[in-house]
Amino acid sequence: MVSDGLLGAAVRKQNGDRFLTGRIEYTGDLRMAGMAHMAVVRSTHAHARIVAIDTERARALPGVIALLTGEEALGLAEPIPHNLDPAGLGGQHAEIRCLAVDRVVYAGEPVAAVVAETAGEALAAARAVTVAYEPLPAVLNAQDALAPDAALLYPGWATNEMIAGETADGDFEQAALDADHVIDGELRIQRTSAAPMEPRTYLAAWDERAQRLSWFGTTQNPHPMRWVLAVALRLSESQVHVVAPPLGGAFGLKMHGHPEELLVAILSRMTGRPVRWAESRAECLLAAGREQRHRYRAAFDADGRIRGIEDELVADHGAAAAGPGWGMAFVASLAVGTGYDVQCCRVTYRVVVTNRAPWSGVRGFGKESANLLMETIVERVAETTGLDPVEVRRRNLVTADRFPYRTATGLDLDSGDYHSLLDKVLSKVGYTDARERQAVQRAAGRHVGIGIAFELTPEGADIPGALVGGYDTTTVKIAPTGHVTVLTGVTSPGNGNETAIAQLVAGRLGVPLELLDVVQGDSSLCPYGYGNLSSRSMITGGGSALLAADELGQKLRTVAARMLEATGPDAVVLRDGFAILVADEGHAIPIGAVAHAAHTLAFILALGIDPAMEATCTYRPPNIRHLPDEHGRISPFASFSNAVHAAIVEVDPETGVTVLRRHVVGHDCGTVVNPAFVDGQVYGSVCAGIGLALTEELLHDADGVLRTDGFKSYLLPRATDLPQIELLHQCTPSPFTALGMKGAGESGLGGAQAAIFNAINDALRHRGARIDALPASPARVFAALAQADQAVAA
Amino acid sequence: MIAGALDYRLPETVREATEQLAVEPRDTCVIGGGTWVVPWLASGERTAGRVVDLRRVAELRAIRATDDGVLFGATVTYSDLVRGDTSAGPLRLLALMARGVTGGVQIRNQGTLGGSFVAARPSSDAPTALVALDARAVVRGPGGERRLAAVELLAGAMRSALAPAELLTGFELPLQQDGGIGYVKLKRGASSWPLVTAATRLELDSSGRLEAVRLVVGGATATPLVIDVSTVLGSQGDVAVLAEVERRTSAAVVEPYADVLADGSYRAAVAPVVARRAVAMALADARRDRSGERR
Repeated sequence: MVSDGLLGAAVRKQNGDRFLTGRIEYTGDLRMAGMAHMAVVRSTHAHARIVAIDTERARALPGVIALLTGEEALGLAEPIPHNLDPAGLGGQHAEIRCLAVDRVVYAGEPVAAVVAETAGEALAAARAVTVAYEPLPAVLNAQDALAPDAALLYPGWATNEMIAGETADGDFEQAALDADHVIDGELRIQRTSAAPMEPRTYLAAWDERAQRLSWFGTTQNPHPMRWVLAVALRLSESQVHVVAPPLGGAFGLKMHGHPEELLVAILSRMTGRPVRWAESRAECLLAAGREQRHRYRAAFDADGRIRGIEDELVADHGAAAAGPGWGMAFVASLAVGTGYDVQCCRVTYRVVVTNRAPWSGVRGFGKESANLLMETIVERVAETTGLDPVEVRRRNLVTADRFPYRTATGLDLDSGDYHSLLDKVLSKVGYTDARERQAVQRAAGRHVGIGIAFELTPEGADIPGALVGGYDTTTVKIAPTGHVTVLTGVTSPGNGNETAIAQLVAGRLGVPLELLDVVQGDSSLCPYGYGNLSSRSMITGGGSALLAADELGQKLRTVAARMLEATGPDAVVLRDGFAILVADEGHAIPIGAVAHAAHTLAFILALGIDPAMEATCTYRPPNIRHLPDEHGRISPFASFSNAVHAAIVEVDPETGVTVLRRHVVGHDCGTVVNPAFVDGQVYGSVCAGIGLALTEELLHDADGVLRTDGFKSYLLPRATDLPQIELLHQCTPSPFTALGMKGAGESGLGGAQAAIFNAINDALRHRGARIDALPASPARVFAALAQADQAVAA
Repeated sequence: MIAGALDYRLPETVREATEQLAVEPRDTCVIGGGTWVVPWLASGERTAGRVVDLRRVAELRAIRATDDGVLFGATVTYSDLVRGDTSAGPLRLLALMARGVTGGVQIRNQGTLGGSFVAARPSSDAPTALVALDARAVVRGPGGERRLAAVELLAGAMRSALAPAELLTGFELPLQQDGGIGYVKLKRGASSWPLVTAATRLELDSSGRLEAVRLVVGGATATPLVIDVSTVLGSQGDVAVLAEVERRTSAAVVEPYADVLADGSYRAAVAPVVARRAVAMALADARRDRSGERR
């Protein structure tokens, strides 16, 4: 018999006190004897030939130990292995080196690296390196990059198109002929970043005698990181030990493929010293994502039923990279249609290289764009038909009786009750009253808008051909003292999944949380795993921990049954620290005593069973489908969390400034293990969505140099910008995953962004104005109003 | 992280500070609170062999009443204003401005009004408010002390008119009649620098007519712009006054400032709105004052 005693409890985060009081050890807190520091010389040009690198002055500066140029690095390392090579899906391959050789393709690209005794000396030396450049014509946006006469970024490429594809089909032209209405439009999504509190930091120590590399750093995926280092440095994976200390947020930015991951290792091997690099905020903000333009058409009837959607997505990737960033465009195209019953959905995507810093993984990973596009279309269907936007959603969302539901792009939606979630949110926000109030406010000249968004977040991805696994492995073991250790292949970006996994194991083994440690992020200690991405940690890490805990629990109950002279394991339950006889609860043994007996009396008590007091299990979600269906479509996700958002904004028509008055979100991620952590993820994700809707944007000057290189120009929302986020939950368990869990972590962002965007357009509608681009900056909103006024005047 | 070594000086008197500054003035940065200079040094935007940090110079942190007004030290912080007695006189407008400075208590504790003035950022709050008060800047250099209208110390965006070896020691704020004050700023969010600011003070006569008004708009142009609104003096109807303020401001913003947060045409378009709102705020304040509501 097993118990889930702690399932659903808001247990506090293990080590939470150490995080809050600054005593947790991030990579930046680690100290090693003889540790030296790295700084990176970066290109000041968007596209240029490197004529010469003068390092003489830098080498002479105090504290300088070593200096490395791209030319010199060629012999020391292979190109960086791709996280997700576009060539695998029919795209073009680019060889990515840790330092540029001969040519730079974006401002900010690493050109040389310096190691010195202190970080300040390294920085001073990096600034003293002079690079002579011969500027080349740069392409700074996707449109220019696709022009027939555009300068090409990569020799050997026929065009600047990295990859293109079509993720679904259906006869849109026929749907358009059959439908009462066809609309078309454009949606432009701005370039944004991930902005974790802790920027990237790496520390590498090469042991010359042991011929072994120890590497500590901000990585979401320690085992794949080990593969990267081994391949690039021509080592065996057993020569590389990767440790991921606690992370101060990751958001996709800390997936592997960054040049500096490799640079610290090369320089440690070169100098014989441990070498650390800590990224500056300006460097961190180079990492980009999300910039894309959608050209869409939608065919629908007068009753609001959508017959078909067509979308052409062009993603402005920036330079090619070894990271997985481009995959966001592919995922966006897969997710179009979201949770709507639209079986005709033709989506094409093109990923274009330009002379700007490349896309990195960023939270949402493309799904947020699909949600924004879909919610924009739904809103416009409502506008055209005169129906309430809520009614259009009711008429098109997949109904609860139709799951599992295969979308037009081939995704197998697991479960849900979208209509009921919509009703809950409408009731919480007081939708009917809010509309009535809006009419009164509008009559008084106020520009109040109400925006709704449905959000579908496919999670738990497994990408064929890449080290991005949808399954994972956990070992659970009990020591003779009764202490339980959980070693898992999933890692935590700081969200508390280690505590949630501990809850599951503690519940199954009946041991108190204080006797249980979860070990993550160590490539030598933990089973091979894929770390943290795509909100996978509870489905795969939790799922495998449950299996392993049950297997170990079976052994403990077998031993305990023999000690209690019971019939067998089923006669014993593990609870509250004891192995208890079910038939007579007065008879019980401390679990620690059972563990000790199992270790010391294995030839008596553990006869007939595997005597190792540990178990290792892998959980593979049964619903990921890589074998293509009859239309060639796959479904690479394990779960489909969903949410409904309602935002109320007020726009100041004289300045274009938007204030978010209320934000209500209803969230359904199936079974919740720890509500405090899920709430934390949703709040954070909604805040990110608010930033994306209103203020965040990476901007460059005319030469392609990043101008928004700090938090006074790259504008994140602050506490005083935010209303109290009103959060409610619905629980529709997944019929496929362990306990019915679905991913939580990314969802919130796309829906919040879409609801606010819709609310702003709702506020502008009576003036005949709308915006089709983000962010909804005051200048953009102001210009839309001014343009509408001019149109009226004309 | 500041690259390389720095000769860091912590003088205790103005004399020491000016002497330390005079050695290599072109290779020296003066720090009020350091909220600008330290990030500049870290990013490499500015380099300096020496830093003269004014935090220990007690005389620069003082606020003192004089016969003609208030002498206001260059290193008075926003927190000093928020916490201090600012219920009357010219400090009232400065305190209103200081209360709206974001960046958290660290920035308000660290940032100084003099430092902000010398940094001459178009988007900063302090220069506009000080110019609205008709402040005179007190400057100490190798040749002694000089005084000039504060606005003349602002040579352009990010450029002060201080000579290399000169130090801003403070401001003289003239005595003022009680009246109304207004300070309004337009931002893109709490983390944004202001795009446009407007500071105003005005006086009403016994019948409620506008008797005096000074209006300064910041952020719309490279340096704070004093708007001539003399045409509204003697007016009583708010609607007409405010419409005239908008017209005057609109006409005055000829070469709008632009940065990464907003372009010039937007700043020019919203400057009149911000100016009008500041004047409306000041009118309401003056009436509260007259009705005895305020104190």
